[in-house]
Amino acid sequence: MTTTPNRPTTQIDERAAPWRKPKWGAVVFLTIVALLMPWVLLQFGGGSFVVHMLIMFFLWSIVAQSWNLVLGVSGIYSFAQLALFAVGGWTTGVLSMSLGWNPWLSLAVAPVAATVAAIVIGLPSLRLRGVYVVLLTLAFHELLRNYAINGPEIISGGGYGLIGVPRLPTGGLFDGNHILLSYYSGLVVFIIATWAIWRIFHSPIGVAFAALRDSEGYAIGRGINQFRIKLFLFGFSAFFTGLAGGMMTHYLGSVSPSIFAFSVLINVLAMIVIGGWGSFGGPILGAALLLGLQEALRDLSDYRTLGIGLALALMAVVAPQGVWPLLRDRVARFLAEDEPKKSAGDVAGEEPENEGATDRSGSSAGGGVVESTPGH
Amino acid sequence: MNDLVQVVWSGILSGSVYGLMAIGLTLIWGAVRLLNLAHGSLYVAGAYAGWTVINVAGLPLALAIPSAVLAAAALGLVMHALFLRPMLGRPGWDSASIIATVGIGIALQAAALLMFGPRVKQIPAVAPGSFVVGTVRFSYQGLVVIAVAVVALTLLYLFLRSSRQGMAIRAVSQEMDASALMGVPVERTYALVMMISAGLAGLAGVLLSSIFFLSPTSGFTPMIIALLVTIFGGLGSVKGTIVAAYLIGFFEAAVQVFVGPRFALPGLFLFMIAVLIVRPNGLYGVPEAQRL
Repeated sequence: MTTTPNRPTTQIDERAAPWRKPKWGAVVFLTIVALLMPWVLLQFGGGSFVVHMLIMFFLWSIVAQSWNLVLGVSGIYSFAQLALFAVGGWTTGVLSMSLGWNPWLSLAVAPVAATVAAIVIGLPSLRLRGVYVVLLTLAFHELLRNYAINGPEIISGGGYGLIGVPRLPTGGLFDGNHILLSYYSGLVVFIIATWAIWRIFHSPIGVAFAALRDSEGYAIGRGINQFRIKLFLFGFSAFFTGLAGGMMTHYLGSVSPSIFAFSVLINVLAMIVIGGWGSFGGPILGAALLLGLQEALRDLSDYRTLGIGLALALMAVVAPQGVWPLLRDRVARFLAEDEPKKSAGDVAGEEPENEGATDRSGSSAGGGVVESTPGH
Repeated sequence: MNDLVQVVWSGILSGSVYGLMAIGLTLIWGAVRLLNLAHGSLYVAGAYAGWTVINVAGLPLALAIPSAVLAAAALGLVMHALFLRPMLGRPGWDSASIIATVGIGIALQAAALLMFGPRVKQIPAVAPGSFVVGTVRFSYQGLVVIAVAVVALTLLYLFLRSSRQGMAIRAVSQEMDASALMGVPVERTYALVMMISAGLAGLAGVLLSSIFFLSPTSGFTPMIIALLVTIFGGLGSVKGTIVAAYLIGFFEAAVQVFVGPRFALPGLFLFMIAVLIVRPNGLYGVPEAQRL
């Protein structure tokens, strides 16, 4: 702790706060760009393809971010994330296509279904540790895949999945242009999910996860209920994953068992690893990088999986922190107000009891935009 | 009665196969604390090496099996030298090693797809033909697989128990620091474990690809089942793995015969989930908290 005995008064070091105030100018600028982007792009030929890629980026980066919460932040080696994605997709698909619900209503059910599925999967698997979790979640993944292929006709579509899922009704907005609707709904969900995940990172809960990952014995000793908090995180990440899955189903108009393919799983994993395992911005950056590369190297698509595999292995050996740390400071300078101009020795940082853990999350995981190293 | 014979035969056959696959996984876990998710790809690599020896080089089958083992073992050594050795002893080994092996596995799979194409292949059986008792069909290839598995597992057991290298492996997996201090060459032992484990995966691959078909992705299901076996038996326990392999083989066969083949894999998963809830460390596993 940093309380020095010869100082009678205690002050709070502002830099010790786990978040910075955002720079509103930058935020407003980004919002305007995001809102105008599709209108501008659609004026050009081929612009609609860019909009399509942006929608893909929104949805996949939600999945990558939520999976990163589970994998990187809390250290649960769960490989069931795409199964939860599929649960969301299938729920809304079955409800809207086979039962004729309004797609908006069925889309609202998708995240709930995914969360329930996550709790069912989490109850047995989160009691286990480390690699045992890998296996059990892979088993659930395979079980669900099996069910999606061999299950009743209403779900499996005879092994081909659901084809012809209705699009989200525009209700007269955007001149009935469903790409624009998908873009804006994707953008809204992306912002909400990113904000929620940001709050998780920089909240006592996030600190508790960092503490659990870095020193489990100590964290449990400080009274963190490991199982409950992991289950919460698992369910939380499933909520947004399921929502993204549902939106993907309505956007593409279909959902098929190929979503369970190992290569899809690897693709999302690569977004997390290449972007930055356990960091806040890593998965977002990774999703952008991988989707971009995928399009740029379309001609080499045969070698894509080979490249992704080798990149994963190399990243694990050479740069386990991913690309994000290289960019973090620039993004922070753009988005957040500067640190107060005080030298570290001036202030005796008196902080809440979880200070040690905050510190760790900042330095080891690159927890967020800000590194907090108060007074020592 | 016929059903029962069928269950016993299928159980022993799949149990031997699972044992071959799983023992490699458990050895690596025991020695290096590495969950090798590239094991399925090593299986595929061995099978393709065998296929190449027969169909491209035109050599007899008897040469295909040892070359499959050697090819897979060489890949294991390369994997160790390039990816695992630089990571050993670094913080974050758990997550980094899982990612690295996933990456290597997917890269090997993609390489196999590029080199051999997506079409399924089959390796000729060592002993073609079969005989029928009652209504149960016994294939000679199945008998060969069982024999090879039993011989390989016995040799491995003897090797681990009484040879110098085997003792080094056991010492390293029990207490790495102490064995390093006693003069055991830890890194060389790791390389050896990788080679043995990969070689066993290659052996399983070349033997099984005459029963099942061979494609770049055909290693995934055997690997998942091998993972189930190792975890059921308790990660790192050789004895537990062998017991678990046969138990799971019998369980799968019983579900296939009495419930229906479609329910074999789901049934297996549900069984495993139940087992892990009751015994989170498997049959013979040491509780995890003691290890870490």
